[in-house]
Amino acid sequence: MKYHLITLGCQMNLSDSERVSAVLEGMGYIRTENEDEANLLGILACSVRQKPIDKIYNKIAQWNKWKNSRNLLTFVSGCLLPADREKFLKSFDLIFQMSELASLPQMIRDYGIVTPAGLKQPQPVMPKNEHITEMWHIKPKYQSTYEAFVPIQNGCDKFCTFCAVPYTRGREVSRPSAEILAEVRELVQNGYKSITLLGQNVNSYGLDKEGSEINFARLLSQIGEFGKTSAEEFWVYFTSPHPQDMNREVIEVIAAYDCLAKQIHLPMQSGDERVLIKMNRRHSMEKYRRIVSDIRELIPNATLFTDIIVGFTSEGEEEFQNTVAAMDEFRFNMAYIAMYSPRPGAASYRWENEVSPEIKKERLQRLSEVMRIHSKEYNETLIGKTLKVLVNGTDRKTGFSTGLTEGKLILRLNRKDDTLMGKIVEVKVTSASDLSLSGEVES
Amino acid sequence: MDSISDGIKMDDSFYQIININQLTDETFSINLPKARFSFKAGQHISVGIYGNHQSREYSIYSGANDEHLEILVKEVENGHFTPRLRKLKPGRLLEVHGPFGRFGLSPEAAADGKFVFIASGTGIAPFRSMIRSFPELDYTLIHGVRYAKEAYDRNEYASDRYVLCTSQDAKGNYQGRLTGYLKNCQFHPETQFYLCGNSNMIFDAVEILKEKGFERDQIHCEVYF
Repeated sequence: MKYHLITLGCQMNLSDSERVSAVLEGMGYIRTENEDEANLLGILACSVRQKPIDKIYNKIAQWNKWKNSRNLLTFVSGCLLPADREKFLKSFDLIFQMSELASLPQMIRDYGIVTPAGLKQPQPVMPKNEHITEMWHIKPKYQSTYEAFVPIQNGCDKFCTFCAVPYTRGREVSRPSAEILAEVRELVQNGYKSITLLGQNVNSYGLDKEGSEINFARLLSQIGEFGKTSAEEFWVYFTSPHPQDMNREVIEVIAAYDCLAKQIHLPMQSGDERVLIKMNRRHSMEKYRRIVSDIRELIPNATLFTDIIVGFTSEGEEEFQNTVAAMDEFRFNMAYIAMYSPRPGAASYRWENEVSPEIKKERLQRLSEVMRIHSKEYNETLIGKTLKVLVNGTDRKTGFSTGLTEGKLILRLNRKDDTLMGKIVEVKVTSASDLSLSGEVES
Repeated sequence: MDSISDGIKMDDSFYQIININQLTDETFSINLPKARFSFKAGQHISVGIYGNHQSREYSIYSGANDEHLEILVKEVENGHFTPRLRKLKPGRLLEVHGPFGRFGLSPEAAADGKFVFIASGTGIAPFRSMIRSFPELDYTLIHGVRYAKEAYDRNEYASDRYVLCTSQDAKGNYQGRLTGYLKNCQFHPETQFYLCGNSNMIFDAVEILKEKGFERDQIHCEVYF
C-alpha cells in the first residue's frame, strides 16, 4: 500500500505533512513520489492564494478519472476556506482538519461510511481548533536529517483584512511548552542543526492560555538555556512573528543565547500608515520602527527579513512610495514581496480591488529592485569575513555545494563533499551578489 | 442544542433568531439567545445563514452580561448577504462563530482610563457593547452619521457623554462630519482613542489626533470597509 502526498503553501503545511506521513506510515503505508503507483492520494491545501486552489481542482479531476481503472482513495486537508471545503466534499473521498489527524486511520478504515454521501450533519463553517493539541502528540516523520520544523502554535486571532487564515486554521492555540522543549531537545540530540519554531503568530505564543503557559520570550529563553548546556551547535529560528506582539524582551533573549539564530523575519506588509490601518495590521510604522531599532541596537549582526504586499486595495502611488521609503530605511536582507490577491473569506475580498494587475506587477518589480540594492550592499560588507554555514545542498554548478548562513543568507561553497551535508562549517566569504554569497570552506 | 428536524442535531454554533429590530430603512439589529461563549466587549463574531455558505463578520452590539447576543447590521443595497439576513424570520437559524479580535478594553483599563470612542455609522456597535459591559466607564462617544435618525439607540447614552455629528441635517449636537468636530476638541493627554467605521473617517481622525499630539499607541482602530 503506497501513498502520495502533495503539500502546498507554507512551512506550517510542510510541518503538518510530516505528521500526516507519520500517521500513514504508522498504518503501514509507504510513501511514493510517483502518484501513478499510489493507492492513497492526498493534498495538504493552501488557501492563501488562488493558484494552489486551482491546482487542487485540476489534480482531483485527474485522480477521479483514474478511479475508473484503479482503486484509489483521495483526501484533502490543510488550509481550506469554507466555500472550497464544501466543493471538495463532492470530489474528495475524505476531508479532515488537522485537529482530526489522529482519527485519520479510523476514517480510512471506515471508508465507505465517512464519505461525502454519508455526511448528513451540517459541517461546521469554522475550523474547530480545540483538538489541535492531539495532532501535536503525533511524532512527525521529518523530511530532513538536519533541518526540522516544530509547530508551537496554530491559528490566528489577528484578522488582517487581506487574509483568510483565521477562517482556515481557526483561533490561536498554543502547544504546551513542555512538548515543544522535549521535541527541540530530541531533535538536537539527533543531530538537527536548524530548528524552526512555527506558528501563524509565534510571538503570541501562550497568550491564549491567559497566564497558565509561559510567553514567547520565556519559551525562547528556556530553549536558550538548553542550548547552553548542549554540546551540539544548532540554530533555532521562528516564523512568523506579528509586530503587534513583538517586544524588546524577545529581542533581548535572542541576543543573550548563541543557539537562538540572529535572523529575524518581521512582516511589515506596507510602509504606509493608512494601508496598515486598512489591512487591520494593528501596528503602526512607529511601532515597527521601534522594533527594528531595538533589533539593530541589541543584535547588530542580525539579518532582517520581511513580507510585503503591493497593490493592496486603495494603495496609490503615494502609499507605495511610503513602502519604498520604509525599505530604504530598514534595509532588509530579504523581502518576500507579493502582489495583493483578494481571497474569498477575507474581509478585503468584498472591497474594490482598485489597483490593476499591471501596476501591481510594476510595483513588485520596483520594490524588488530596491531590496536587491540593499541586500547587495550588505552582502558586500561580508566579503573577507568568516561565517558559519549550514551545508544543505548541491549547487547547480559542478563541484560546488550550497548552504545557509546563520542569518539565512544563501552561500555557494567551493567544495562538493557529501560528508559536509547537514553540518555547520566555517566559510570565508570571497564574493557577494544581491541574493547570495560565495565562499571557501575553512574548517 | 437546537434541532431543526428529527434526526439532525445541530451543534452549539447555531442560534435561533429571537427578533429583528428595524432601526432605520437600512439598518437593523438581530437579537439571538445569550452567547454560549464569553466575549470581551469590542470583539466580533462571524455570522452565517443556515443553508447559505457565506458568512460575514459583525461587532457584537450587546454587552458582555446582556440577556441576548445582538448585532447591528446595515443592509447593503443589492448585496448578497444582508438583504437575506434582514428578511429572516424569528426562529430561523444563524451560525455564529467567535468571538474574535482584540479591539476592546481590559477590565483594569476600563476601571481607570479615559476613553474617547469615535464611530461612523454602524461602527458604533463595539462601543455600545463596551459601554453596556462597563457601566462605570469614563467615556465620550462621538458618533458620525448622515441623518439624526441613524443615531441608533441614542437614548441609551448619557447626554453629556454622547455627541452626535450629522452631515446631512441639523438635528445632531454638531452639524458636519465628525472629523470637523474632532478638530475643535480638547482631550485629556492620557485619553485612549478607539475608532471604528469606514477607513476614510479613520484615516482622517488618526491624522487629527496625531496633530493634536497624541501618540499612535493611544489610537486603536477597527476598519469596517
